[in-house]
Order: sequence, then C-alpha cells, then structure tokens
Amino acid sequence: MRALDRKLLRDLWNVRSQVLAIALVVSSGIALLVMAQGVFGSLLTTRDAYYARYAFADVFAGAKRVPNWVEQRIAAIPGVRQVQTRVVVSVSLDVPGVSDPVNGRLISLPDRGRPALNDVALRRGRFLDPDRAEEALVGERFAEAHGLDLGDRLFAVINGRRQPLLIVGVALSPEYVYGIGPGELFPDPKHFGFLWMTRRHLATAFEMEGGFNDVALALADDSPSTEREAIVELDTLLDTYGGLGAVPRADQTSNWYLQNELSQLQNMGLLIPMIFLGVATFLLNVVLRRTVAVQREQIAALKALGYSNLRLGIHYVEWAVLVVALGALLGIGAGLFLAEAMLGLYMEYFRFPLLIYKVSVSSILIAVGVSLVAAIVGALGAVRSVVSLPPAEAMRPATPETFRVSLFERLGARRWLSQPARMVLRNLSRRPVRAGMSIVGIAFAGAIMVGGSAMMDSMDELLEVQFNIIQRQDLSVSFFEPVEGSAAHELAALPGVLQVEPTGAVAARLRNGHLQEQTAIQALAPDASLRRVVDVDYRVIQLDRPGLVLSSLLAEQLQVEPGDTLLVEVMEASRPVREVLLTDTVDDLLGVTAYMEQESLQRLVRRDRTMNGAMLKIDSQAEERLYGLLKAMPAVAGVTLRSAALENIQTYMLDNMTMMMSVNLLFALVIAFGVIYNTARISLSETSRELASLRVIGFTRAEISAILLGELGILTLAAIPLGLLIGYGMIAAVMSVFESELFRLPVVVEPSTFLISAAAVLGSMAVSAWTVRRKLHDLDLVAVLKTRE
Amino acid sequence: MDAAAAATAELTETPPVFAMRGVTKVYAMGEVEVHALRGVDLDLHDGEFAVLLGPSGSGKSTLLNILGGLDGPTDGLVTYRGRELSLGGDRALTRYRRRHVGFVFQFYNLIPSLTARENVALVTEIAGDPIAPEEALALVGLKYRLDHFPSQMSGGEQQRVAIARAIAKRPDVLLCDEPTGALDISTGVAVLGALERVNSELGTTTAVITHNAAISAMADRVISLADGQITSDVRNSTKQPAATIEW
Repeated sequence: MRALDRKLLRDLWNVRSQVLAIALVVSSGIALLVMAQGVFGSLLTTRDAYYARYAFADVFAGAKRVPNWVEQRIAAIPGVRQVQTRVVVSVSLDVPGVSDPVNGRLISLPDRGRPALNDVALRRGRFLDPDRAEEALVGERFAEAHGLDLGDRLFAVINGRRQPLLIVGVALSPEYVYGIGPGELFPDPKHFGFLWMTRRHLATAFEMEGGFNDVALALADDSPSTEREAIVELDTLLDTYGGLGAVPRADQTSNWYLQNELSQLQNMGLLIPMIFLGVATFLLNVVLRRTVAVQREQIAALKALGYSNLRLGIHYVEWAVLVVALGALLGIGAGLFLAEAMLGLYMEYFRFPLLIYKVSVSSILIAVGVSLVAAIVGALGAVRSVVSLPPAEAMRPATPETFRVSLFERLGARRWLSQPARMVLRNLSRRPVRAGMSIVGIAFAGAIMVGGSAMMDSMDELLEVQFNIIQRQDLSVSFFEPVEGSAAHELAALPGVLQVEPTGAVAARLRNGHLQEQTAIQALAPDASLRRVVDVDYRVIQLDRPGLVLSSLLAEQLQVEPGDTLLVEVMEASRPVREVLLTDTVDDLLGVTAYMEQESLQRLVRRDRTMNGAMLKIDSQAEERLYGLLKAMPAVAGVTLRSAALENIQTYMLDNMTMMMSVNLLFALVIAFGVIYNTARISLSETSRELASLRVIGFTRAEISAILLGELGILTLAAIPLGLLIGYGMIAAVMSVFESELFRLPVVVEPSTFLISAAAVLGSMAVSAWTVRRKLHDLDLVAVLKTRE
Repeated sequence: MDAAAAATAELTETPPVFAMRGVTKVYAMGEVEVHALRGVDLDLHDGEFAVLLGPSGSGKSTLLNILGGLDGPTDGLVTYRGRELSLGGDRALTRYRRRHVGFVFQFYNLIPSLTARENVALVTEIAGDPIAPEEALALVGLKYRLDHFPSQMSGGEQQRVAIARAIAKRPDVLLCDEPTGALDISTGVAVLGALERVNSELGTTTAVITHNAAISAMADRVISLADGQITSDVRNSTKQPAATIEW
C-alpha cells in the first residue's frame, strides 16, 4: 500500500463517525432503490409469466344473458384471436361455522378441457369432474381465511336454496391476483371468495343454459387501435343482450390495482433514493471541503514534495468514493433483504401461483453508478480548492475569515443580541448556501416522515368519510334481479330491522356530443340517510330535484357542467335514450358515479323495478338471526356487514402500512441524523479554536455549548416547518398520482403526524448535540493558544 | 507553606497575588515523560510588571498556563490571594479565569465573526464590573476601529483588541504569552505600549512571557527560566518606557 493510500484510510478512520453517517444516508437511498427495483422487477416478471402461462385475457365484458351462438360472431370480430364465454354469478355463501355474511363469485370452467383464457392455477387437489354437479374449486385466500380444505363443504345460496359445494381443489386465477369483491378497496377473503364450477352445472342453477353472461377476448396484437375497435364491436354485439360495456385489460380491476402498485414502486424506486443520494452528495461536499481546509498545510507539503494536482485530486475523490462504496455495499445488502420481506408482504395481497424473484443486476449497477457520480460531484468542490492551492501560499496560515454583520442584525435586531448570538448568526450567514442546504437536508428527513404517515392519515380520512358519513347502514343487501319497491316493506318487516332504504342502479351510457362514458346511475331516495352523496367537504348533496348528479371526475371527462344536458342511454332491454339535466357535480372520493333521485330514475327507465339492493339499520341483538332470514330470501344475492368491511380495511392498513412506516421512519432518522450530526461536527471543527479561546477567557462549557448548538438549533428549527411543507407537497403529489376512477384520497395530514415528524427531527438533533457536546468537553485549551488556525 | 510561615509572610510584606511553592509539571508525551517544571518557587505582587524570559522549552508557557488556571501542577502548591488554585476542579478554574485573569495570546485568538467592540463586549457581558468596550479600546489606541472585523485589521491592531478584551473586565492579573511573537518591531512596540499603559493606569499585575530579552527593559522584575527551573530573579532598577525598546 502506498503512503498516500495509508493517509486516506487513516484520514477516513479519524472521521469515522461522520463517514459512517454519510455512508448510512447513501445506504438508505441504495437500499430503497434496490428494494423498490427488486420488488418491481420480481412482481413484473412474475405477473407477465403468470399472465402468459394462464392466458390472461385482453378484453372483458359482462352482459345479462347472451345466447351461445353469438360466440361465433364475437370470434369473427377483427383482431380477436381467442374467445372464452362463461357464466359468472354473484351469490351469498354459507360457510359452516361462520356467522358473518359471506359473499362470493361463482365462475364457470368449461365442461371439458381447460379454459382458453383466464385459466386457473391449481394449488392443491384436482380439477372438476364434469359429471359431479356439486364440485367446486375455491380461491386460495378464501380457503386460507376460513381454514377450508379439500373435501370440505360450503353452500351457495341460489334463489333461496342452499346448494352444497364440495371443495376438490384450491386455485388461483390471473383475473383475481388482487381479489377484491365488488365495491371493495382491499381484498377481504373472510367475506368474499372466488369459486369455480363446471359451466353446465352453474348454468343450470342460474337458468343460463344455452347462453352466457360473461366473455373474455384475447386479441391478435396489442396495438391500441385493435383493442379500441374490438371493444366497440363487442359492445355493439352485446348491446341487445344487456351488455354492461367491455373493459380493456388495463381497466380490469385486479390488473388495475396491480399496475397501480407497480407504478408506485417504480416512482418510489427513483424519487426517494434520489433525495437520499442528493443529501449524501451535499454531506460529502461539506465534509471534504472541511477536510481539505484542515489539511491545507499537508496538501502544500505534498505538492512541495512533487505530488501532482491530478494525484492529489484523485486522492480526495477516492475519499468520497470509498465512503459511497461502503454505503452502497450496506445498501445493496439491506435492499435485497428488504425486497424479500416486502415481496412476502405483497404475496399476502397479490396472489401468484409462482414467484420469480428477480433483482436486475443492471438496476444495482445503475444504483452504484449513480451513487459514484454523487460521490464525485460531492468531491469536486474540494478537489477544485486542492488544485487551486499554490504550495507556497498554503504553507502560510489562511487569512482570517471575512465576516459581515448579518442581515437580521442590520434589520435592527443587533442591539438585542448577545455577542455569542451574533457569532451564531454570522457563522450561519457567512455560508448561506451551506446553511440553506443543511436546512433542506434536514427538512427532507421531516418530509419523508410526514409523507409516510400522511398516507395513513389520508386513508383514515377516506374511511371516516366512507364509513361514517356516506355509508351509515349496518348492513347492505343486494338482489339478483331488480325488485319492486314494495320489497323494502318486506325487509322492514323482518325482526330486528330498524330502518330500510332501497338502493338501485341502472347501467347507462352518458353522452355529450362525441364524448361518452359508461357508468351506473345510482338511485337514492331524496331523504336518504343511510347511504348519502357526500363531497370532499363533507357536504351532503340532496337529490331533491329531477336530474343527474355526477362525480366531478365524470363530469370533467364528459366536459359538462351543472345546467348542461346530457344524453342518457339506458343499457337495458328497450334502450331508452333521454336528455337529462345535470343538476350538480360532487367531488366524491370513491368511484365515478352518477346519482339520480329514485323516482326520476324509474321514469327514465320506464319501469318501477329499479331496486336492486337495500341499506338496513338493524338491532345488533338480532344480527345473526337476521342474516339467516335474509339469506333464505330467494331474491337476495349478498349481504354485507359494514363493520366487517371496515375491520378488514383496518387490518390491511395495520399490516401493510406499519411496515412501510417503520422503514420510512428509520430512513428518515438516518437522513436527519446524517445531516445534523455532520453539520455539528463541521461547525465544531470550524469553531473549536474560537470556542477554546472563549473557554480560556472564562466562558463555561454550557456557554460555549450554547454557541455551537445554537447554530444547530436554528438550522433544525428552520428545517422543521420547511419539512412539513415539503412533506405536504409530497403527499399531495402522491395523492394526485393515486387519483383514479376507483378512488381519490383526500390530502390529510393530522397534527399528530406533524408533531411526530418534528419530534423525530428534534430527537436526531438532541442525539447529535449530545454526541458533539462530549467532544466539546475534550477541547484542548492549551493547544489553541500555541497554534495558528 | 505552613500556617506559621504564611502568617510571618503576611506580616512582613503585602501578601503576594500568586505564590508558587515547589511546583513541578510532568507531561506524558507519548511514551516519554517531559519535565516542564522542576520545583519552581515564585511570588508575584500587586501591580508588578514581570517579564518571564526563557528559550523555548524552558517551561515558561507551562508556568503561565498554571498561573492562568488552564492547567494544574503535577506536584506543589499554587495559591491565588491565599486560595489554592488546584482545588475545585474545572468549574472553579473557569470561574477564576472569568473573574480574575486576563489573557493575551501570541496569535490574538479573536473571534473572527465579531467586530473589535464585540470581541471586547464578549467579556464585558459576562464580567462583574467591566470597563466599557469603547473605553478599553481607547486605552489601547483603537478608538477609531471599533466596528472593524479582525480580517480588516493588522496583526498589531488585532493584538491590541486582544489586550482591550483582556483588561476590560478589570482583571487582577494580565497574563501575556509572547504577545509580540507574531508582530514586527513597530507594531510590537505599540502593543507593548498598550500593556505598559494598562499596567500604570489600571495597576494591573502583568506577567509577560517571551524569549525576546529586549522586552525585559520595560519590566519591574525579570525572571529567567531554563530547563524548568528559575535561574535568576532580578528587580530592574532602570525601567525604560516601551517606546524606547528596540530589537
């Protein structure tokens, strides 16, 4: 090892705690990058392999009932490579030993052979025997949630009859990677399950013989125009049969969620690591500049001995590269570990029959490359000052630093400030860029913390709105077919039912000129109190006028404003098309919906059967008995308990977000500590001579600590509000990415989130201060008197 | 020193400001022991202007550090106005420096972020009965440089600010460690003039350590050190004004 390399290692060792702090900041960035890229790469590869192997379809459509011969015509649509028709029905399930209401979806599998599209992956057991009517495959998560095993039985309640189902296999499907039930935000396998049955038997049970109500297409190519044209053609064909509108793969619920998650991972995998590496670059710059300033005379001596500018420049670049390399190594290790932990968590919610763990070497190389660039950029300032230092000048002491009266003092505060306070202000204002960068660096720590927790706050808010303001029923009931309004009286007559509100929905296509959107028009009673229309400001929208109320997002898409009229095409038998006035828009949080007052809707569709569900307020004493009675009603397709749905979401959030938040908190602390500690050490190094002089002339330890820590305190206090602002901006940006037709999260940051973030930053400061204060005690008072700066 | 001897000393003359008895100081420099002081006995009296003369390594800085409460002796006794300095630890020494001692260093040790006036105010703000910073600076001839930062002043000016800072608290003793060591002769003489004026006008006991023998011409008393011991201690009967000193 050459002498200069030894010097490098010893120099690094001398400032090891600072080196470690910077390396940890780097490693946090790299760990996040490797983790996000690892999870992203693995999920993407796994998804693609899964979709390919199990023939996930490109287009999905539902209808009321389509005769089998139409399948030929669908297959003839240009660009269609493969067609799979199915019978898919929603039912209420009866799982032995479970008293909560459970709903399910029964999906048909062909009588013979495997489905051409959306095949199932058998995890355990065997495929269905077409001759046995009661055999069923059950979704894996549902089986796990209820402890169901092969040979167990459960019941589908079909037309009020309990049809026994015998579990012969446990399966997964690419259609339900993210297996959520209708209207849910998170999978709730305790209350919603997917089951597969032989087509023949399922059709018989639901009077669907000779027909189908669901079709999936695979397209010949993946050009958008092929997809668009196929969807238009398919919609036209299915129109007559109560077609509900075809959706492309991108909008298929499970795939949409998966894609959304992947995009988030990709964004998180870039943005956040960049923040960390940016902060690390800044820290390297500051620490190296200081090192060069301290080693001024050494550098001059080395130059005098004949070392070239290039060699000395490389020496300091190596300094930075070594620190970053240490961080990168730690980060890659931690990232790989975290990626695996994270994937485990994902596998709970996104179910795949296979997992291809894939961390692309190139992404790691990119991470290391980017961090090396960060190191070199960080070292550049220091190298420049090394190169520009003529050896003779360096042997002389540096000229005293030039100071000015700070702006704050010039504004009139000067006379109120003690001399130590003036020192603090002038030290800060002498290097405004560095002080500013320190503030920004610390602020990012706070911001990361705010951003992480605000996600939770916003979800809480969404739940609060959804489950306490919008939905106030205890129980909701859905029917197979729309029923007459009188059914509400029947429900009200059941024991334990306190209040009933009918709900209804009609599939419709809304048109404004060439713009059109397909949606469901929800019917609500004008005085509805169990299910209400509420906007972001919790304003309850009264449906007391004839006309339509639209989600703002939907109104935007159709480019209509209140007062405009829309063409409404009802997607039912006679297909009436009417002009309807848009009376209001609502900034709602979930879904994109059209609302209409119940009776107006009945007039619009020209029938009195628009009630396809009801909201119930019930006496909790009578709960269990009531479920039984409801399930036994032939018209009832499903019963959902509000409290169970809420509980499920809360569990999900606790599981998922707790881990995310711990990781966030940890990394944020690393940044906060990294910046604050280094700032403290640098200012200690810069002012130790002054502080020692003050000690000599009689200042106490506490007094000089106050000077050093005052500087830190000002930086930290300035950083806290900035961090809260940046955090708020970050969360708002993330939320706008989230903004989708499925849900829009309100941007909510609870005061407690701000407080926790501020406390964590202050805590990091306290630890740094404590560490540095111990060094202050060791100041060598005698030495400073004998040395030049 | 036993009680009887102390009582006798008090009767015979005014008590000394400082009294050192059998002071030794041993430093561990790596694995070598350095004997910086070897049994020094010394008294310094009120209003005295003493020059401690010696080559580098003679122990004079160590002596000054011990008198100033920056360092403690390995052995022996140091009293300041009858109180033992080594008792009470760091807190007591800080209080002692704060109340009673004024320091002037070779490299001035001014705070670069504070102006001349503010450097002096640094001390007057924590002192009991200080001279106003402006007055202290006028005493050293810097009435017109009150709001200059150290980087805007010459070395001699900076050293005079340091003297003003040291005397503004009305210290009982002014300890100067090579105050002209970093200065050329003309600025050095100006600095010595300032010390002389402080000593005569305020009556501050002053100890200057230097290896520059010329400075001893302005002293009341010249103490020479070599190899950690006092080699001579003489009264200067032909005291000269600082302005006439040359080297």
